[in-house]
Amino acid sequence: MDEFDDKEIATLLRLKRHEQPPPGYFDNFLHEFHRRQRDELLRQPLWRIGLQRAQDFMFRLNVPALTSYPAMVTAVLVFAAIISLKVYQAPEPVRLSAQAGPAFAAPLNPGSELTLASPVATRVFTAQPLRNFDERARTHRAAPPRYVLDSVPVSYESTFRF
Amino acid sequence: MSNTVALPSIARRLSDLLSPGVGANDKPKRKAMDRPRTDEDQKLVARTQSGEAGAFDELVVKYTPRLYGLVYNMTSNHEDTNDLLQDIFAKAYKAISGFRGKSSFYTWIHSIAVNMTLNFLKKRGRRFHLSLDDVDASIQNDKEFIELTATSSPVREADLSELQRRLNEAMMKLSEEHRAVVTMFHIQGMPHAEISKILRVSEGTVRSRLFYANRQLQNYLDEFRKNPVS
Repeated sequence: MDEFDDKEIATLLRLKRHEQPPPGYFDNFLHEFHRRQRDELLRQPLWRIGLQRAQDFMFRLNVPALTSYPAMVTAVLVFAAIISLKVYQAPEPVRLSAQAGPAFAAPLNPGSELTLASPVATRVFTAQPLRNFDERARTHRAAPPRYVLDSVPVSYESTFRF
Repeated sequence: MSNTVALPSIARRLSDLLSPGVGANDKPKRKAMDRPRTDEDQKLVARTQSGEAGAFDELVVKYTPRLYGLVYNMTSNHEDTNDLLQDIFAKAYKAISGFRGKSSFYTWIHSIAVNMTLNFLKKRGRRFHLSLDDVDASIQNDKEFIELTATSSPVREADLSELQRRLNEAMMKLSEEHRAVVTMFHIQGMPHAEISKILRVSEGTVRSRLFYANRQLQNYLDEFRKNPVS
């Protein structure tokens, strides 16, 4: 007896198409699919259902790109806020060190502070600044410049007379 | 049922509509069994992605018989097939928002079905029992069946249920990958190119698996040929 050849094998296998599920199976499949989907949805925790509803809402607003890159959007907003703060921030007025504070200064009259008991010159820390700035001087600087000729020009000098 | 779907961009929608679809240029060497039209599928997919759940229902109704045949002939168990089919469509619905139309929906849904079935079979292992569907009465009018019973003595001598059992047992002796190829090619009538796209292997691999599976089936059915009634 000959064994099944390729053609007969193919024909035999094609007969398996006639194996069909019970009648009405395909008609009820969609109904069963919906029922399982509902059951699965009800088994989900409340927070997941809420999240899903929020996602649905976002997608309906046609902003899927924004929702898919929330981190990038947040980063851009933070970066823009920082830049705007830097740019529009007004510069602080320059302050000179006129404030009273601890400073290292030599005494005005060091000779008076020297004693025989202390061969090494001692220095006293005072709370006075090194230099005192007169507030009037600052306002004076702000005044318009004044040009003074402190000498007579050469052309105005009288010629030498011998 | 939730409507977690993303709205596709206009460009993507246009490319989906203008693309000819997978398999459009395939030579009609084999007539695929009830191959759905891809342009209709693309419209239904677009409607589903825009939030119309009813459009997905149409896809479910359309593809259930085909996918049932695919999964059933890989598992040889009706209950497993039913559960798997539910999971396949649930997964497809969740993933359809990310479907970009690079392949046809036909190829995409078949890929999901084959991969999920292969994973299921690997987990199930050898612990299974046959739970076969009844053979449709229309087989008595099938031209090929009539020819086979006329020419092949084993088929003529065995009754229909015995033939069905032997065929399914022989199929289940194949590896899962070989069974998938045999199911898609011999039973579902898909061309090699389509199978290679679904399995993401070359056409040469598909042909090689088919050749090997045919030799295996010949060996397994040899006993049936010698002893048609056991």
